Amino acid sequence: MARKSRTAQKRGPSANVIATVAVVVLAVAVIGGVLLFNRSDDDNGGGGGGGTGSGSIPAELRTEPDSNTLTEASDGTVTVVEFLDYQCPACAAYYANVTKKLETDYAEEITFVTRDFPLAMHPLARQAAQAARAAAAQGKYREMYHQLYDNYEQWAVAPGGQELSDDAQQAATFFDSYATEIGLDLDRFHTDMTSAATGRRIDADVAAGEKVGVSSTPTIFVNGAKLEPEGETYGDVDRQLRGMIDEALGR
Amino acid sequence: MRNNRLAWLYLVGGLVGLAAATALTLEKLAKLADPSYVPTCSLNPVISCGSVMDSPQAEAFGFPNPLIGVAAFAVVTTVGAAMLAGFTPPRWFRLGMQAGTTFGVVFVHWLITASLYDIHALCPYCMVVWAVTIPLFWYTTLDTLRTSERTRAAGDALAGFHSTVLATWYAVIVILVLIVFWDYWSTLL
Repeated sequence: MARKSRTAQKRGPSANVIATVAVVVLAVAVIGGVLLFNRSDDDNGGGGGGGTGSGSIPAELRTEPDSNTLTEASDGTVTVVEFLDYQCPACAAYYANVTKKLETDYAEEITFVTRDFPLAMHPLARQAAQAARAAAAQGKYREMYHQLYDNYEQWAVAPGGQELSDDAQQAATFFDSYATEIGLDLDRFHTDMTSAATGRRIDADVAAGEKVGVSSTPTIFVNGAKLEPEGETYGDVDRQLRGMIDEALGR
Repeated sequence: MRNNRLAWLYLVGGLVGLAAATALTLEKLAKLADPSYVPTCSLNPVISCGSVMDSPQAEAFGFPNPLIGVAAFAVVTTVGAAMLAGFTPPRWFRLGMQAGTTFGVVFVHWLITASLYDIHALCPYCMVVWAVTIPLFWYTTLDTLRTSERTRAAGDALAGFHSTVLATWYAVIVILVLIVFWDYWSTLL
């Protein structure tokens, strides 16, 4: 045994070290390569996202076949795209003060698309986006969207009302109750929430947002033109947004 | 010599695991005392001890997992210290360590799967436990294989590539983590 292990030690360690280094280098190369490749991919896309003229609206700011839509215009000339995060307080405030009314007032005239942009700082944002996507899979996106924002205080805010909740289990219970209320098949809802397809759709929306320079939520585009709020109050935002839409409608 | 290295691994690995398990236990206690407590290791939705600790998998046997860690890593540390003090474990004792580390490594991989594919969050203290449990199991296994006549040849052959196996093992987990949380990592760039 003594002889055997000595020869093994003479040759063994160096083969081991070489193989170990090879594994590490390979892993680093693969990861680094994919990261670099992805990054340059993003850079290429970023250039195309710059144009916001009405003639060249990037695909990210239009309706796509699997887009979550709140309203659909019969002629489809005006498309409002909102990048939102269901747990973001500003989005909830926009909903309460601006977009909820907009949705009814312009129901037949505009196509209102929402895109997921769950931000990392909101612990339940992605879970909520998954719930909305899972409802969409059963044709009830709009209903779930309303449930999520109408009940924002319930699932998104921690007890005490000061901080955002990070209680995923509690949120899941609430999401189930919303799903039941709007008549979803709960089993399917659960499967769809965590399915790879749901994850991919959310990721695709986030990627689309990044391509067109979205960095915070809510970010709203009207026919590709970004809403840059100028006023101080939600009333000002509401007027500005309606102005942009009316202009696009040719009023 | 070989025993000495294993002893140091037990001592250091045991202490690191013990520290992580203790931290997790303290976080759990703080959270029990105040449900709105945000653990120090909950930084964002991905790096979030809170969501991992609140998952059903965090109490696999009906009580918080870190309690297992506190007990088991204390044993590993003690065994390492005893070996350094001159204790030569008999075969039955080594088999006990093998059983313990095997349970540990299986349990940890079940938790890794849960963390990546069910909970969709990472908990840094838990990852420390992943990182130490794997070498504890691996080197214990090599030791067990090499102390029995029948398996010595296999043990020697594997020992010839001990760190290659370990590096590959880690690399697979790192890559799985990167794949699952891809969009999160890519937003950091």
